[in-house]
Amino acid sequence: MLEADVEVDRRDLTVRARLTVAPGERLALFGPSGAGKTTLLEVIAGLVAPRRARITLASRVLTSTGQSVTALPPWQRRVGLLRQDPGLFPHLSVRDNLLYARSRSSGRAGPHGSDGSSAPAVPAGSSASAGSSASAEAELAELAGLLGIDGLLSAMPARLSGGQAHRVALGRLLLSHCDALLLDEPYTGLDVSLRRTLTDLVVSLVTQRRIPAILVAHELAEAQAFADRLAVLDRGQVLQTGAPGEVVLRPAARRVAELVGYTAFVPVRESAPAAVAQSPTPGSGSGSAGVVAGIHPDRVISGRHPARGLVLAGVVGSCRPAGALWEVTIRTADATVTGRLLEAASAGQELVLTAVDPPCFAAGGAAVGARAVPAGEGRPAGGVRAAGGARPGRAGVQK
Amino acid sequence: MAGTGIIWLALLGPVIALLTHLSWSGITSALSAPGAFDPLILSAESGAVTLGVLLLLGTPLAWALARGTLPFPRVWEAGVLATLLLPPLVVGLLLIFMVGPFTPIGHLLSGLHLSATDTFLALVIAQVYESAPYYVLGAQAAFGSVDYRLEQQAALLGDPPLRVFRRVTVPLAAPGMAMAMAIAWARAMGAFGAVVIIAYHPTGLPLQVWTTLQETGLPSALPYALVLLVVALPLPIAAYVWSARARSRRRG
Repeated sequence: MLEADVEVDRRDLTVRARLTVAPGERLALFGPSGAGKTTLLEVIAGLVAPRRARITLASRVLTSTGQSVTALPPWQRRVGLLRQDPGLFPHLSVRDNLLYARSRSSGRAGPHGSDGSSAPAVPAGSSASAGSSASAEAELAELAGLLGIDGLLSAMPARLSGGQAHRVALGRLLLSHCDALLLDEPYTGLDVSLRRTLTDLVVSLVTQRRIPAILVAHELAEAQAFADRLAVLDRGQVLQTGAPGEVVLRPAARRVAELVGYTAFVPVRESAPAAVAQSPTPGSGSGSAGVVAGIHPDRVISGRHPARGLVLAGVVGSCRPAGALWEVTIRTADATVTGRLLEAASAGQELVLTAVDPPCFAAGGAAVGARAVPAGEGRPAGGVRAAGGARPGRAGVQK
Repeated sequence: MAGTGIIWLALLGPVIALLTHLSWSGITSALSAPGAFDPLILSAESGAVTLGVLLLLGTPLAWALARGTLPFPRVWEAGVLATLLLPPLVVGLLLIFMVGPFTPIGHLLSGLHLSATDTFLALVIAQVYESAPYYVLGAQAAFGSVDYRLEQQAALLGDPPLRVFRRVTVPLAAPGMAMAMAIAWARAMGAFGAVVIIAYHPTGLPLQVWTTLQETGLPSALPYALVLLVVALPLPIAAYVWSARARSRRRG
């Protein structure tokens, strides 16, 4: 279990976060560049000193700024860090890189076993170190096979491709028997299929070894592919934590919605007293003022489907191919909405779209109710309507 | 191409001149005199001690400069550059005021039955002052070329700082450090300006060249110049070859 409650000053902002990652669990920290994601990892790794923090890993206190001050140095933390640059030692062969943490020439202690308080004591002596080196060799052979780098052991790092170097770097961390794995956008710059292979590999190894893992990513799909829990970080604050799918479908705030890909926010008229009560807008007499529905380009279907969400009608502004889909922009009375659709449309054409199950946000940015859902037949008062749209669809606000 | 060739030849000119003006009989007669090799041995010994001092004292300074761990780094750098920018002759004069017999340091040394004028120690001090900036600046560049994230990675893999230094920093900086040491060695071997002021005796190679020139003229000084080259150059050449090989090995 990795628990981190961190407050760290950066030049431009203060990063505050509280994270808990269970053994074998994978948390993704998602957010724009400069949000403080890497800083958080560096505090956990002991590379950056926090203003205030309490970090524990496998019931060892790594950092504590409370009454008893603890700040374990990086070499006693048993935290593995993998960055975009695999950071292989260029003067050592792949084999020596992999065995780096295991080949202490002093032979006084086992891997990472210098702090005494946590690591099981390894008896000094040649027989013990010979035994541990034999086990390291066996583990190396097994892991190299698993990672598909068994043919590269005698190569120098400069000869490796990007993907191979990352496999070696991952193997080196796993052979070091770290208690937690921190991944700082490790696969940025690699091609998509390689990224997927490596991500799957990390996922299976983390699960198999039951160590907590944190991935920092600024691409949502990458974060989702890795994580079983997603934390959205912006300007040093964790805005929302949840299941990777949930965060996208139910953003807790407008800013989260923007970060996870909602590109348009359409004013809606609401008549639900519950929604008004939940989102008091200061200085505004009317309860409906400023409430918007978030539109995600991937969660838009063509046609009028009032039962499934918010119906938007407008004129096509542009249409261009986006992968296997068409990215269509339509101008409604209030906003410009983008959707990725199966069919192309021509500019100037009238088009009706339905934003499926859109989340609604009050003027302050907080989500209104749980989410906007199609109004049930028996709930006439629970509606959110597109304000001023050509034909507003109806969407209820469910508590 | 032709222009660079001419410049290159012009730079090599002194070496070519030396080789064309030497005669075998001149070398044997100059070096067969009793005690002819004493300056060579003295220079080699003092040079080795100088290198040891530089390695011991200059390396931590170079590392700290490279890692930017010192407050006011520019001031520290200026201090290193000062010895490089001062004319060696001036350094020699100022060393008299610093470590001469009538200074606090001189008194301290005489209490230990040592003297920093006209002794082996004086020769080492003069050589250190003439070669230190070359070593420190070269080693600083060598350390600076080592990615600090590799050192962080080694630390995260369980190595405390000294072991990181030994296993990662030094091996990666070694080619550059070897070049810096070789240049410092060549400077120490050829140190003359400061040496002539505070360490006229015992006589090292450069002074031997100078005094032979003064006493018996150019032809008898030339063999010592050749000896000086022979002593000063192999280390830089070896370092150059070794660091080139180390770099190519790293490329796989």
